[in-house]
Amino acid sequence: MSSAAMELVNLKKTIGKKEIIKGLSFSIPKGEVFGFIGPNGAGKTTTIRMMVGLMSITEGDVLIQGNSIKSNFKDAVREVGAIVENPEMYPFLTGWQNLKHYARMMPGVTKERIHEVVKFIGLEKAINEKVGRYSLGMRQRLGIAQALLHNPSVLILDEPTNGLDPAGIREIRDHIRKLAQEENVAIIISSHLLSEIEQMCDRIGVIKNGEIIKIQNVGEETDNEEVIHHIEVTPMDKAMKILNENFQLESIELDGNLSFRCKKEQVPEVVKSLVENDCDIYQVNVAKGTLEDQFFELIGENTIE
Amino acid sequence: MSRMLKLIQNEQGKIFIRKSTWIMYIILAVLILGSALLTNSLDGLKSEYDEDNWREELKQENAQLQKETEEYEDFEEYNNSVIAKNNYYLENDIQPAPYTAWTFVDENISLLSIVSLLTIIIAAGIVANEFRWGTIKLLLIRPISRSGILLSKYITVLLFALYTALFALVLMWIFGAIFFGIGDWNPSIVVEGEDGFKTISLIANIFTSFGFKLVNLVMMATFAFMISAVFRNSSLAIGVAIFLMMGASSIVSFFADKEWAKYILFAHTDLSQYMDGNFLMLEDNTMGFSIAVLVVYYAIFMLLSWIVFTKRDVAGQ
Repeated sequence: MSSAAMELVNLKKTIGKKEIIKGLSFSIPKGEVFGFIGPNGAGKTTTIRMMVGLMSITEGDVLIQGNSIKSNFKDAVREVGAIVENPEMYPFLTGWQNLKHYARMMPGVTKERIHEVVKFIGLEKAINEKVGRYSLGMRQRLGIAQALLHNPSVLILDEPTNGLDPAGIREIRDHIRKLAQEENVAIIISSHLLSEIEQMCDRIGVIKNGEIIKIQNVGEETDNEEVIHHIEVTPMDKAMKILNENFQLESIELDGNLSFRCKKEQVPEVVKSLVENDCDIYQVNVAKGTLEDQFFELIGENTIE
Repeated sequence: MSRMLKLIQNEQGKIFIRKSTWIMYIILAVLILGSALLTNSLDGLKSEYDEDNWREELKQENAQLQKETEEYEDFEEYNNSVIAKNNYYLENDIQPAPYTAWTFVDENISLLSIVSLLTIIIAAGIVANEFRWGTIKLLLIRPISRSGILLSKYITVLLFALYTALFALVLMWIFGAIFFGIGDWNPSIVVEGEDGFKTISLIANIFTSFGFKLVNLVMMATFAFMISAVFRNSSLAIGVAIFLMMGASSIVSFFADKEWAKYILFAHTDLSQYMDGNFLMLEDNTMGFSIAVLVVYYAIFMLLSWIVFTKRDVAGQ
């Protein structure tokens, strides 16, 4: 309970007569990277806006380090750094002036701290240019820098890898992991890029029509669940026979590979047995992307209701 | 408190780092310069009266005005008041003061309407632009109440109005001094009051007019600020505020015969109507009633701005 950096308690939002958010309850401990995914219109941004006090809460509450965003806004929001939707900054100010602007609004942000954040996010070269000339990726970095200025214990990032090139995405991903592990920051990332979320997050919450329909740990299923493996092996039919006779595994030929379902712990034995029976193995792969399959299973179509 | 100063510093910075603000100041300066040049080129406006023969000149002027009135009846009212004023000089043996920087400022104090215009533009944008840029989200997720943010913006607008008005005033005096000289440091002028003509201090007169203009300025700025905070749209705020400012007197005179006309804001924003020699917007206006109406409107503008800004959700565009 006390280790939760952020806690949502039966959070509801009604606009007019329409219930947009229908009672979300979950908590995010310190040092966790929490992925928040869902189709367009599911209520991700509305939830995030309520978390930071931009939208009023119809019912329930958001607690940040135990402080209610409703009744104790200043103490609660002091612990939050966020990008809500796009990283919009003043285009006529330089990156540095933008950061200075926000630094003036918070207690205890020194010039050294701004330098530190700029360095951390890798924006030293462009910091004295006007933001109007920034690429989306640079603005994204500046947005993260702005959110980190006051050493928040909760970081909320809306689509943080949007507009970044692959190298930039990897860099941001590393930053996020580092913040969670070294600074013990709780990080909430909303995204529609499932592969991104999968690689960055410890836990994922799937939201649909204003409800959390599943919360799942990432990477947990691979240890004790049966996963599809692909083996590139010759001769194919001999290998197939070995799998069937020695391990009672059904296998099929797929794109020149032998595909079958088994637990992770079985893999070494399977390989050993194949090698002993003079089968040549070129590569063994685990079929990833299970989260994406699950996501579409849960969500169905990408529809807005 | 120091936090509020920093917020105001932020807001001032955002105004003055933009080129459009400086262009507005340049336009203001050019208009004042133009007015000075125009006055300088029209000799009639700044007639000099010699030590020796100013009496002769006034008499000559009167005769000329008399003749003009016979030819063009439209000028009768204005010409008669000038003649009456000239006669006051002659009867009391006062030499008319020469045209100086002070006179120029006094006669062109209405140029401060341009300051109103600039202030409206700033007030209209100060909240609405944050919504347009999307930066409002980052502004409101700081450990500062929404009232604090709004207050810093409102104070910024008032400060802008004040020093822009002072800038205009000083610039008018400087251009006036260049073209017409400084003259006496405590000049006096003759004005027509309720009970005939009297001599008053010109500088006192300038500052009274300036004070009344500031009241008008604050009301218009607060109005534009309110539209900006409520509708989050700067074009709307600029448009409505400027339209009402320009059309103020027509609006009042159009509805003048209605019972409720006295409750129209614009019948009261120009408090200089109570200065000597000016006409009242409505016949039975009094200074006390005007101030009461202004206070009520001001309170409504402030309440609306505050309630809407602090309560309403910040949702996507």
